[in-house]
Amino acid sequence: MLQILADGLVIGSVVSLGAIGLSLCFSILRFANFGHGELLAWGAYVALSALAVFSALAGGAHPIAPFSFGWPLLAALAVAALAVAALTLVLDAALFKRLRRQGAITLVIASFGAALALRNGLLFLYGGVPQYYSQELQIAVHLLPRRLLGGLRITPDQLFVLALTAVTVVGVHLFLSRSTLGRAMRATAMNPQLARVAGIDPERVLRATWVIGALLAAVAGVFAGLTVQLRPTLGLDLLLPLFAAVILGGIGSVWGAVLGGLIVGVAESVAVHVVGAEYRAAAAFFVLIAILLVRPTGLFAEKT
Amino acid sequence: MSSPALDIESLEAAYEPGLPIVRGANLRVQPGEIVAILGPNGAGKSTLVKAVAGLVPISAGRVLLHGADITCVPAHRLVFEGLAFVPQTENVFANLTIAENLELAAAILKADKRERLDPVYAMFPDLQRQRALLAGRLSGGQRQMLAVARALIARPRVLMLDEPSAGLSPKLVGQVLDQLKRVRDTGVTVVLVEQNVKAALAVADRAAVLVEGREHLVGTAAELRADARIAELYLGRHVQAQAVA
Repeated sequence: MLQILADGLVIGSVVSLGAIGLSLCFSILRFANFGHGELLAWGAYVALSALAVFSALAGGAHPIAPFSFGWPLLAALAVAALAVAALTLVLDAALFKRLRRQGAITLVIASFGAALALRNGLLFLYGGVPQYYSQELQIAVHLLPRRLLGGLRITPDQLFVLALTAVTVVGVHLFLSRSTLGRAMRATAMNPQLARVAGIDPERVLRATWVIGALLAAVAGVFAGLTVQLRPTLGLDLLLPLFAAVILGGIGSVWGAVLGGLIVGVAESVAVHVVGAEYRAAAAFFVLIAILLVRPTGLFAEKT
Repeated sequence: MSSPALDIESLEAAYEPGLPIVRGANLRVQPGEIVAILGPNGAGKSTLVKAVAGLVPISAGRVLLHGADITCVPAHRLVFEGLAFVPQTENVFANLTIAENLELAAAILKADKRERLDPVYAMFPDLQRQRALLAGRLSGGQRQMLAVARALIARPRVLMLDEPSAGLSPKLVGQVLDQLKRVRDTGVTVVLVEQNVKAALAVADRAAVLVEGREHLVGTAAELRADARIAELYLGRHVQAQAVA
């Protein structure tokens, strides 16, 4: 019981971080970015390349006990985040900015195209074989014995993912609620026209939205690679859970995206244990359908 | 003689290219004036102020603010030039508190928060008392006060308002328009679009009647109140009878 919940929270951490960026994109850029999942995949793979470079420079991966990774992966994570942020700015300048006046449908179609290009770019560069950041075996820690609610085991890497997700989410919340740029982003999401006459530069807000979404996507991608594996279809596989989390939480709400992501993660974990791993993706689909039928605005939709 | 606070010259503006709503409008507003823009529905009143505020594309003509051409200045830069605009609806950030609305306005300008907020709170003490309240929970009149207060944080030289009385009770209309007089008394030039002609002419120094996208009548508020066409079209029989008397 608790094990299912813990596994779900780990999956949900990845989904939550990705969903925050997608939700911000939805509410500020005002279109559903079907390429967002690919940003997670690119983050994961750029980190893989950077990890190879840093490990070579350091003469090894230097794992920090009890984790399977060392500082080279942390440095690679930072490089991946910056690289994906740069990638989104290039994508925006080359594609989305040119189409912004055409409306949301055009942007959505463009994002499909961007997703295809990004996914196949990864396939071309890295091949289709699953890869891992580390070949180190991790021993799960027994947090609770089996006799208590079925027991609870978790690896140090999973604990790291949960902790860093919590820190990141709090950081994003503080940024959006306390900083001028964060408040300007919320204001633009609420009322873009009023934001303009209030003196908020819309292009600056758009760039910030891309960058923050990209940073979070890269972190989520690295977490996915760390806790599961890297594969070029990572972004596509995560797309439905990301959308389910955003719609479940309510478009524009950071905490909604986080909670939505965790619920989707737990639903997937339940599906794995109850009906088998092959039906895992169906869990997100059912969550999405259920929320659309019961509360289409989501749990924490931002009101205008 | 000093240049006008706001000078609109032969302005044409359209939401869609080739379909102008404002068709060669002219309006000159002197510093310290309250000028009302009146007219029937669809005359282009709101489009005119939105075009001046940078929200509707201008296809011809120009706009001068204290002599400086601001025709091509983007909407988000106009507040730095001294022009503030209060839209008719959704004119506050509903999910931010009163304090956050005002602090954001100050922060965008990179101005000292206390220095900007204190005078505004002094002018609108109700807002200070309720500063932790979400703007979305305010009544129509309070929202309008907050919208004006938010605009005043920028210390504009010209304040434009699009139908500040829309949706308000007659009592609140009087309060809001009285506030505009107090705003003018601080040295701010005020331009307001109004459907409520009687209330607008009670507060304005001058007014312009817009018809089909250009000014049809321009005069002092007293002249327009006495104008038989205005009385007949906008002020009703009672006032018409008063005017005749």
